[in-house]
Amino acid sequence: MPYGLRDKAWSPYAAGVLIGLLQIPAFLLINTALGASSSYVTVAAHLASLADPAVGGIRYAAQHMEGAKNWWQVAMVAGIALGAFASSRLSGTRRRGFSPIWTRVAGVRSLGGRVLMGTAGGFVMLLGARIADGCTSGHGISGLAQLSVGSFIAVGAMFAGGILAAALMKRI
Amino acid sequence: MSVLLAVVVGLLMGAVFGVALEKSRVFEPGMIIGQFQFRNFIMLKIFLTAVTTGLVVLAALDGLGLIRLAPKATLFAADVGGGLLLGAGIALAGACPGTVAAQIGAGYRDALGTLAGGIAGAGLFMYLQPVLEPLILSGGPGKLRVDVALGAPYWAVALAFAALWMAILVVLERWRPWRTDLGADHDGIGVPPLGRRPDLPAGRATPAE
Repeated sequence: MPYGLRDKAWSPYAAGVLIGLLQIPAFLLINTALGASSSYVTVAAHLASLADPAVGGIRYAAQHMEGAKNWWQVAMVAGIALGAFASSRLSGTRRRGFSPIWTRVAGVRSLGGRVLMGTAGGFVMLLGARIADGCTSGHGISGLAQLSVGSFIAVGAMFAGGILAAALMKRI
Repeated sequence: MSVLLAVVVGLLMGAVFGVALEKSRVFEPGMIIGQFQFRNFIMLKIFLTAVTTGLVVLAALDGLGLIRLAPKATLFAADVGGGLLLGAGIALAGACPGTVAAQIGAGYRDALGTLAGGIAGAGLFMYLQPVLEPLILSGGPGKLRVDVALGAPYWAVALAFAALWMAILVVLERWRPWRTDLGADHDGIGVPPLGRRPDLPAGRATPAE
């Protein structure tokens, strides 16, 4: 194998093939395509139910609260954190604070400021992903692989939105 | 499948996913912003490679009759509007919904805010969904697929798209080798801009300047 867990970087092609191969267990074992953003609804619905017991009455919330498929995706997103933790430990590329890119493109100098920006970004990101019914994984990797017309539209809009927002930031 | 077994499968798949995201460096905000500012093409390369692999894998599994494809419904306004918001959010967050977890795992502290914001955004949508459903989340042509629209078998169109994406990747890699885009600290920062000779040390001005 050309790459090992102690390497700091793999080629994007090795990583891309590995991610694409995850469609095999997703389809054969879980009967679904790779995705990430609906797990946020599962977590949000359970957190909301602590304060608002009526949330289960919303059909969309109820659809995301129980069952193997929903908890599989929550576990997969948690697994991503575990895999990245192990990988960064083994290669000695642990990160602290926030990326220096934010000071360069947005003038953000404090962790507090960056957390605010990231929180706003996460909010808009998931609101958009749920309106479009998928994210970079569900619409992007899985939707384009299934030749879904809506996914071609959503991915085009996603890149357009990202390019527009990044155009408002400083270029480095 | 039981929920417990699904969770074990999910954790294992996620661990592989997380290693791939961390090793490829695409979880770095510098890579995401770099892609959106056309300075860095690692994100596009991973994305198209994963799509291409998926096309080949699904062409085989569907051709053998082992699976049923599960595409999403086409809803024009929701796909465009949601996609635009999603993209803008990705630029502000420096992550997509999956790579947020990789950032947390790798140690970025701001990603905890992104995660919290994401859960709040999903929560707001959950309450808005019954209102939005009759407006933009219903109707449309249904689960439209390119191969069905063309009247061709899925495997044939899937393999044709796989060939197209692969050709684009070959051109992209020749034009801009991936090692050039890593940056000095593997975070996509300090990459020579387009048009500048990629063999110069990262972050240094051209001799002419």
